[in-house]
Amino acid sequence: MKRLRNVWLHRALGLALGAVFLYAAKDKLIDPRPLVTIIWGYQLLPNGPINLIAIFMPWMELLVGLTLLTGVKRRAGAFWATLMLTGFIVALGINAARGLNVACGCFSTSATDTQNAWLLVLRDLPMWLAAAVMLLFPPPERPRAETRESSPGT
Amino acid sequence: MRTLARDAALLLALTLGLGAAANQLRPHRLPWWGQGQQPPMVNVDFRLLDVGTAETLWSSLPRVVVLDTRPAEDGAAGRIPGAWHVEYTDLASFLTAERLAELQQADAVIIYGRDDEGDLEQLMAQELHRRGVQPPFVMVGGFPAWEAAGFEVEVAP
Repeated sequence: MKRLRNVWLHRALGLALGAVFLYAAKDKLIDPRPLVTIIWGYQLLPNGPINLIAIFMPWMELLVGLTLLTGVKRRAGAFWATLMLTGFIVALGINAARGLNVACGCFSTSATDTQNAWLLVLRDLPMWLAAAVMLLFPPPERPRAETRESSPGT
Repeated sequence: MRTLARDAALLLALTLGLGAAANQLRPHRLPWWGQGQQPPMVNVDFRLLDVGTAETLWSSLPRVVVLDTRPAEDGAAGRIPGAWHVEYTDLASFLTAERLAELQQADAVIIYGRDDEGDLEQLMAQELHRRGVQPPFVMVGGFPAWEAAGFEVEVAP
């Protein structure tokens, strides 16, 4: 358990997951319109809130990516990352279970069978785990001494 | 725990602020509450086409319009000969009356992108179909598949 609180583990996980989130956010930030259709394709939500998700979720992905990468408010970023990934896994899982052809891009012609949908779920699981570790096992607060060390001039 | 709650709330507030601002500032902003958008339907708004059939259509019909949805630099490095470059986000400004007329009179409209994701191509097909173009063909596999099949490629001078 103590190993999970290692600062360097958190930095590494933050770098990896943060990069994934930033990459995921990029296209959606530029133009969220295709996202509406994609979320629609999941056939899980009524039409109304779909637009709200398309408008706001990419920004949350961006902020989560930045917090995880930089380590500023990383735990809060990990909180939202865990929440979002839980949502993604549930959404993908439901559609994989009912054999609906959805991919991240929803109309992806490459995801024609449900096996692919399960693969997407599998791909999300390690990310969820990384986010959960950062959320549940924050490294211990840095002792004061260390901050003094870093600025020996004063 | 309290710090976490406060920071999480801060991130949420930032998200709401940035998202709302961005949606206000964008030229093509989304309505806040979804009206129910019908996604592009295969065989209604568009038809899927493998590269082999696409090549046959392209080389045997007199008036085929090919649309390349990839970024301009990709198209310059190699595209289907005669393809028009148009990205999904630029479609509205791209569609002059003249071009739309040509699309409407075409024997076939073939749209391709850079991979087999095809979602933007399908959305573009839907918009064209709504404007009176017969359901365009979306080429499965995009340009890489065309290139891999060894069909003719045009490189911009």
